[in-house]
This record gives sequence, C-alpha cells and structure tokens, in this order.
Amino acid sequence: MSAETFHRHITLNILRYNPQDADAEPRLQSYALEEADGMTLFIALNELREHQDPTLQFDFVCRAGICGSCAMMVNGRPRLACRTLVAELPAESTLTPLPFFELIGDLSVNTGKWMRGMSERLETWLHARETEPDLQRIEERMAPEIAEAIYELDRCVECGCCVAACGTAQMRPDFAGAVGFGKIARFRADPRDTRDDDDYFELIGDDTGVFGCMSLLACHDVCPKSLPLKTQIAFLRRKMALIA
Amino acid sequence: MSTSFLIVQSGLAERLRKSRWPARLDLLQSGTGLLLAIFMWGHMFFVASILLGETAMWSITRMFEGYFFLGDAHPRLVSGAAAGVLLLFVLHALLALRKFPASYRQYHILRAHIKAMRHEDSRLWIWQVYTGFALFFLASAHFYQMLAWPQNIGPYASADRVWSDGLWPFYLLMLLAVEVHGGIGLYRLAVKWNWPGLSRNFLKRLKWGLTGFFLVLGLMTLGTYMKIGFEHQARYGERYRPAELPAWLERLAPEGDFPRRDPKEDAP
Amino acid sequence: MKTRITDLLVIGGGLAGLRVAIGAAKRGHEVLTLSLVPPKRSHSAAAQGGMQASLANVAKGAGDTEDIHFEDTVRGSDWGADQVVARMFVNTAPKAVRELAAWGTPWSRVKSGEREVVINNEKVTLTEREAAQGLIAQRDFGGTKKWRTCYVSDGTGHAMLYTVSDQAIARGVAVEERCEALSLIHDGERCYGAVARNLVTGELFACLARATVIATGGAGRLYRVTTNAVICEGMGHALALETGVAALGNMEAVQFHPTGIFPAGILVTEGCRGDGGLLRDAEGHRFMPDYEPEKKELASRDVVSRRMEEHIRRGLGVDSRFGAHLWLDITLLGRRHIEHNLREVKEICAYFLGIDPAEKWIPVRPAQHYTMGGVRTRHTGESPHLKGLFAAGESACWDLHGFNRLGGNSVAETVVAGMIVGESVADFCDAPENDLAAPVALARECVRREEEKLLALLHSKGEENAFKLCAEMQEIMTRCVGIFRTADGLQDGVSHLQRLLQRSRHIGIQSKAWGSNPELVAAYRVRRMLKLAITIAYGAYQRTESRGAHFREDFPVRNDRDWLKRTLAFWCREAEEEATLPHLEYEAQDVNTMELPPGWRGYGAKNHIEHPDTAERQFAVERIRNHVQLAGSDRFALQQELMPYLEKLPARLRGRNERLDEPL
Repeated sequence: MSAETFHRHITLNILRYNPQDADAEPRLQSYALEEADGMTLFIALNELREHQDPTLQFDFVCRAGICGSCAMMVNGRPRLACRTLVAELPAESTLTPLPFFELIGDLSVNTGKWMRGMSERLETWLHARETEPDLQRIEERMAPEIAEAIYELDRCVECGCCVAACGTAQMRPDFAGAVGFGKIARFRADPRDTRDDDDYFELIGDDTGVFGCMSLLACHDVCPKSLPLKTQIAFLRRKMALIA
Repeated sequence: MSTSFLIVQSGLAERLRKSRWPARLDLLQSGTGLLLAIFMWGHMFFVASILLGETAMWSITRMFEGYFFLGDAHPRLVSGAAAGVLLLFVLHALLALRKFPASYRQYHILRAHIKAMRHEDSRLWIWQVYTGFALFFLASAHFYQMLAWPQNIGPYASADRVWSDGLWPFYLLMLLAVEVHGGIGLYRLAVKWNWPGLSRNFLKRLKWGLTGFFLVLGLMTLGTYMKIGFEHQARYGERYRPAELPAWLERLAPEGDFPRRDPKEDAP
Repeated sequence: MKTRITDLLVIGGGLAGLRVAIGAAKRGHEVLTLSLVPPKRSHSAAAQGGMQASLANVAKGAGDTEDIHFEDTVRGSDWGADQVVARMFVNTAPKAVRELAAWGTPWSRVKSGEREVVINNEKVTLTEREAAQGLIAQRDFGGTKKWRTCYVSDGTGHAMLYTVSDQAIARGVAVEERCEALSLIHDGERCYGAVARNLVTGELFACLARATVIATGGAGRLYRVTTNAVICEGMGHALALETGVAALGNMEAVQFHPTGIFPAGILVTEGCRGDGGLLRDAEGHRFMPDYEPEKKELASRDVVSRRMEEHIRRGLGVDSRFGAHLWLDITLLGRRHIEHNLREVKEICAYFLGIDPAEKWIPVRPAQHYTMGGVRTRHTGESPHLKGLFAAGESACWDLHGFNRLGGNSVAETVVAGMIVGESVADFCDAPENDLAAPVALARECVRREEEKLLALLHSKGEENAFKLCAEMQEIMTRCVGIFRTADGLQDGVSHLQRLLQRSRHIGIQSKAWGSNPELVAAYRVRRMLKLAITIAYGAYQRTESRGAHFREDFPVRNDRDWLKRTLAFWCREAEEEATLPHLEYEAQDVNTMELPPGWRGYGAKNHIEHPDTAERQFAVERIRNHVQLAGSDRFALQQELMPYLEKLPARLRGRNERLDEPL
C-alpha cells in the first residue's frame, strides 16, 4: 500500500426507485465521495448511507465475496459489489439493480425468491437411493477426483449475475438460466444421485431449459466464481439432444 | 381425439412426458446452419473463380451444369441445387425465428441490455439477428433469380447483372450480411456444442479471420464482376466463349463442340 | 393483525436453524422459518476450513476417537465446556458428517498412496493407506491432537449450507425470507412464538408456535473489526435477553481469529496454518515457536491471537497507516496447493488486497470471530428459564465451547445441535402437555407494543444518529473489550456503553417509510446491540480471572477455585427500557462429575489456580481408569463409568461410530 494521500473524488450515479411507493418514478441520483485505500463498493455504499442518504437500499451480507448477496450492475455489468474495488472504477460510475429479479428498492433485488423457485422447479437436491442412511456405518466411498469435480460445480453462490447478464432470460422470464443448468450439471456429475438423463430431460429439455439457451455466454463471462458454465451447458445440451 | 391432446387442453401438459421436439428443433437449427455455412463458403470460392480469369469461372459454371459429365449443359441442375439450398434456408429461418424477440417490448429490453452490458458475444448475437432478418429478403430474391433464370450464370452474364442491371448494391449488402451472419453462426455453433480442445479465444480469432478473409475475397470478386460488367456494357447480353481450354479440361468436354456453344443463346 | 400458527418457529435460516427445521419436519411437524436473508446467504457459508469429526480416515488421523475429540474440545474450552454436551457432540459429529455425505455434500476424499505436505515448515511425505481410498479426508486444525477436520476444499461451510438448504427445500420447509423477529411472545413462563417484521413491506405479524428455536448465529458486529457477516448483530441473543426471563450464558467469552485480513477483517481460514502456513513478524521471523514450542502456529485460537497481539505490543509488528499487523506466509505451500485447496483465500487476497498469496505474504491481525456465549440452554437445547424456547448453534450456550471454541467445531456444532435439538424439539411438540391454546390476545398485545415502539421511533424528535451510535459502540468494544482486558478499561467501557444506551433512546430518523427502511432497522437494532455489548463488557469486568479467550491482564491466571462457573445474564424485566445493566448470576460447574478434571491445556500458560475438588476428582478418575483397565473393559465402558451421557442423546443418535480400525 502506498503512503500517498492523494485520493480521487468519485461520483456514483445510483438508480433510485421504491416500488412500494405508488408515486415514485425511477431516477438516477448522483453521490460524490472521496475514495480511500482499499475502498470497496461495500465500504462506499455504507458510507453513503451512513453520512449522506439513510434511505439508500442495498444488500450485503458476508462482504467477502462468499454469500452472493450483493450482485448489482456496475456500469452496466453484473458484479459482486463487495469485492469491487472503487480504485478499478472510473471517476464516474453507475450502479443499477440486477435486472430480471423482483426489485425491492434501489439496488436491492429479491434473488432469493427466484432461486428458491428455480430449485423447486429443477429439483436441485440430491435424489439419493437411501433417504435414511445408517449413520453409524462408514460412509460410501467416492473417488477423490469425482468429489473435486462436484465441488467445482457446487461453488455457485446463487448471486444471480449469470441470469442478469443473460440475453435469453431478459426476453423469457421462465428461462431456467445458467445457475439452473450449473446445478443440474452438478447433480448429474454426482454418482450418489439416482436420476438419469431421461429424468433431467424432463427438467431442462425444452426452450425454458437448455434448448432455449442461445449461447451468448455472458453468464460464463460474468460469473464471479468463474464456473465453467460454457462447457457445462454445452455438455448438458449434447446429453439432452442425444435423448431426442 | 387422442388422450394426450385432451390432457394438454386440460392444462395438464406439465404432467405428460416432455416432448422431444425442442431438442430436435435445436439440433436441426444448428445442422441447417452448418450446412448453409459450408455451402456459402463453397459458393464463395466458386464465384471467386472469376479472379482466376473468365475461363476458370466459365468452366466451373459449366461443370455445375453437368457439361463435362453429361455431354451437354443443363442449367436446371443449378436451379435444382438452388431449390435444395432454399429448403435448408427456409427451415433454418423458421427455426431461427423462435429465438427472435417476439415483441417490441422484448426487443427494447434486449437492446438496452446489450448496449449496457458491453459484452461482445451478446452484441454479436444482435448482429446475427439483424443480418438474419436482412437475409430473409436478400437471399429470397437471390434464390428466385437462380430458380427462374439458372442459365444467366457466367462471366459476362453475371457481370452484366451486377453492373448493367444495377444489382451491385444488392450483392454488396448480401455479401456483408452473409459473411457476418455465417461467421458468427459458426463460432456460436462451436461454443454451443463445445468444440473440444479449442479455446473460445482461438475460435473467436478464427471467426474474425474467416469473416475477414471471405469479405475481402467477396469484395474483390464483386469488384471484378463490376469491372467486367462495366467494360462489357456495350455488348450487354453477349455470352462468354473461351478461346481455348486447358488440355486436361478439353479432354473432358463433349467432342467436336468447339468453339463452345452458349446454351443461353438457345434459351427461349 | 396477521397471525400465523405453526408447530415450530425457527428464527434463523443458517445451518443450525435449517437442520433443526428438517429434523422437526421429518417427525411430521409444521415448521416456519424466519430468515433475515435467503438461507443460502447465511453466515454459515463463510466457514471455509472444515468440520471436526473423528473419522480417523487419514494417516495423520489414525487412532482418533471420540475420546480424543472430547479431550481436545474440553481443553480448548479451558474447562468452560459442559462435558456432557461435549460428549454428546463428539459422538454425533461423525454421524453428522456421514448424514451430509448421504445428502450430497462433496466432502474431499482420501487418495491412497504417497503425497507431499508441509508440516512445521518442512516438506513431509505421508502415505495414505489403500483401505482409506475414497473415504472422507481430514486436515489439520489448531488445538487438535489428530488430523480431524473434514473439509470440502476451502468451501466447507458453503457446501454444507447448500446441502442442508437444498434438503430443506426438498422437504418443503417454509422459509419467510427477509423477515426479522422483533420480540418473543411469552408470559414469563412459556414462550409462544415471536412478533415478526417483514423487512420489505414493514408488515408486522405474530407467529404462534408450540416451540420457538433461536438459531441466529453470532454477534460479531458489536466489534469494529470482525470476520462476521453484517447480519451477525446478535439479534437472537437480544430476543432472549429482552424477555427478562431467559438468560444469556458466558457472553464475555468472545473469540478472536488470528488471521483476519488487515485492516478489513475478512477471514482467511485456519486451513492456511493447518496446511503448513506460518506467521511472521516485521523482520520476517517466524515467532510462534518462541512462544508455543509445542503447537506453534497451531495452538488454539485464543492463544495464537494473544501471542500475536503480544508480539505486536513488543514493537515487532509491521507498521502501516492503519496500524500494526503481522504476516501470514503460505508461499511455501506452493502455487498448486493454493490454487487448488485454498482458492477462496487466493480470491480474497486478489480482490481485497490485490496480491497473489503464492508469491506474497498476507497482512493479518486478529479479528473478532466467534461468540461462545449465547442463550443458555440445557443439553436438549431448551432454555431452563423459559419453557418452549430453544436455541441451537452459535446463538446458543448449551455449552460446548466454554471460553474458547476449537476451529472446525463451529460448523460441526451447527449440524450436530441441529440433529439433537431437532429431535428434542419434535419430542416437545409431540408431548400433549405442551399443547397450546393459542394466546391470541397476548399475541395481539405483543404486536401492538412493537408497533408502538416503531411508530415512536419513526416520529421521534430525537437527534441521535443510529449509525453513529453503532460506530461508537464498535469502537469501544474493540478498544476496551478486546483480546487484552483490564478492570479500568472494562469499567470505562461499561460506563461508555451505558451512556450510549441512554442516548439511543433519543434516536431520530429522517426517512419515515414504514416498509423497507434501513435507517429504522439500524435504529431498533442498535439499542439491542448496546444491551448485548453491555452484557459482554460487564460480564468481562466481573470475571476476575483469565480463561480461554477471556484474558484479564490484571488477573492473568485461570482461577478454577473462584471462577469455574458459567455467567448467566438477565435483563431487568420490569424496567426493561430504563435498565442499563444486566443482572448477573453464576452457575457453578461440578468438578466431581467431570470426565476430564481441570488441568493444563497442553499449550498456553501453565499457571492456573486449582479448584478444591480437582485433586479428589483426579484421584477418582484414576481409580476408575485402573479399575476398568484391570477388568479388561473397553474405552466405551470406561467412559460410561467416568461420566454417563448416552441416555441424554436422542435414541437414534446413540450408536457407536464405525471406523476402519474400529468395526462396529
């Protein structure tokens, strides 16, 4: 860290809108603040709320890039705000809420509700052979490589960036989204799951599923966890096409 | 009426086994796209034979008319092939329509999204939509020509059409649309089904390289036709007759038929 | 007024809350879960390192049993833990890991054959046996004799939370997201549920339930520098405290994690040190062996944190404009290991520090990490003071961790407590004597009271600013109630906090919105946080000894004679709004029933004051030990003789745990 004390004055243009207020109109509001060392958007937005505008709405939880709560559009692209360093941004930046999801107010959106719906629809849980395993017994074995491969896909934090970046989802509100495909790929890779491709076809084998995807790959490019969405979706598409 | 229809009508479609058609349609869209792209490249090379000289282009045209195999030129063979390609084209267009924005609202959202996102692959896609839309009309007109007047293909005939009939702006537009659409489409096919071992970066460079190459080739070709057409405008309607053929080709040609008879002169 | 009636109300949607909810749902009860955030965003997800369970699959874990896990836990707690609870815990932990494995958690697995690891700054080759191929792997963690920490790469909490949350979805467990419990509905004898507020619409509603479970995690946000998420404000603790009936136990026991990234306080996992990472000072010197020759960087967290602060006080820290820090060096682990097993750490370093930990050292300093104290409960999870109120996980004090929690025991506790409390809550709901004649009038009264409080806040003419009060509180807590504590500092802290609490009664709010209103939320929460802060500081002031994470410079010795007891804090029920101090009581621990009588922990200072009963109990334990050994009985029989506990576990969790070397 340099000992320089020069700090930029930056401007954040934030989309303000409260859907609960029947008279409200969406508008951009500008806030000026002085940058500090190591300042992330988490720090910047909290500073705005604590010192300039207590009504500003946004969501943070872990503030360490782990929980996926704080995705928002930073200069038009979805990102996790908590790990976006202000230093990386131009002197004037725009923050808007993630599109596609239900807007709660300002930068706060209801990703949780959509994700739960997606989970219920795509049945994103392990469909195990035994529902009541004998807990005293040594666990079933699994090849270390397979466990690692599953974890690679299990790293999704359901932040919603992929869906917010997806051109298809913008046009089709019922689209399952990369997050959904990633989860199907995760359970498909898991030898403990009893489902076969016919079962998965029932979940994603149509235009709201993997055949609706137009391969614009924005999901892959914005994923904060760098999940291999491109190859996984292509893989699922091939497997599902083989069924037909 | 079948039970499944009644079940669907009752709003219980969800309870039926999922149709396999969306999968088939997606495969079909990719397949027709791939075939059309391969066809377009071949087509481009054949048309570009003019760069090697009028005789080369004449020979290739004759070849497709069966001249070197059937003992005579049959332009209907060309319209037959064009009909086949047209079928692919219609099928591809129909399938691609599924992906187009279906309302102004959708289009509006999509455009704003792509503009704000500054994401290359998304931007490429909207260009694919624009060029695809343009090709509905451009390619249809071209198909009609080839179906109706297959005999009007040749070094002079084509050049006259380009220059004296004033169609060069049409071909210029179509060239741009086809190359942009095809290049992006092939790239997307590769990422959509995941061409193993090739990185997206490489594929994208390859895509731009190919698009660039075919655009340059196409522009040079179009320029050559325009030049020939310009020089030939006084003799509009005259057909090209090669003075002599390379010996190996001469051997393939029907016997005693030199100087070449231009079948178009016999046309009604 | 909306009233929702359910069998079980769970407050908190993290690992503990969801596991309780699943347990009760499996037994056929209707469960309603309230969660501040979507459950998968809970702070459980942030546990990177792992979960302790004595599976003994890896070479370095060979011979591990519940017994050793038990001893590590009790020593770690500095004998503050309830040993019966610790026994219940260590016996259930392997079952919890195996249950999660069956539910889909992608635990990292053992690969048989040779592999190279870094132990004590040296490359060592370990050979994993063929028989263990594909079983769940364990890594090393601080304060443990064996490698016992099961892990999923460096995203253990995330993977566990997603598994459990997906199971909750599969079982249709209802979760009200973005809903906050404001107060418990109770009549001083029995808890009937809670008044909840929808954080989006502002709507207040009553949840009436046979049993209510608090599972809201920790209270790290009372401190300025904490690894905790912003939602860890101790609101569950406050719910119980504000009843004036239920007690909070051992609130002064606050853990500081040695390796919070400096200055932001973001956690880098103990796995870094477990896998061989070192702590270095300004001169690059590895200083921990100077203080702790035996366990070095892997002594328990309280000890390492204290040694680090001690080293900084000696002027050997690295100076920066934000203050002094030390270095965590994981470069010696190699890029492959870091990019593979410590990727989350690599990401955090890249995004928040702009450095590559495979090449550069990470600036670290201890940061608040864990709240050992919580809602005091019995081993069933039920409050002994308020019938129908339960607690589980970090917000509970049943008391597994005593005065210091071992790394890897927290996520383990969440699921283990979930399994145990899930069953006991279901038992409670099954029992006809616990049936409920829905006290709708009481509920209406409670909702009305909360509504009045909120309206008063919204229309207050006060000039205090909630955010400023919160920042001042965090500053005081960090300064006066941190790693090193003194009577003067604590006294000063308490009186400061009391003044803040008084000032908090005059908070003014700019935005008058009834619905989503972050300022209003900050205002009502800061009052509750201040009560907790005072409880912690006051308890710390009263406890004139050093135990585990509670370190008094003026009383640096653990004093079993006077302080082998649990602090219980009650808020005044009658004058809830006027009071500025809790009422403290103490609950003595019985040395004569301990399986492991108090002694030296095996690391840290060796200078405690003995409890008068200790010698006698030690003698008794020795005698039983010899007796059992002579009789040729096994370790289970010995344990049963020393401290029977099995009948306290739910029947389905009583069985032994199979191991490669210990067949059933």
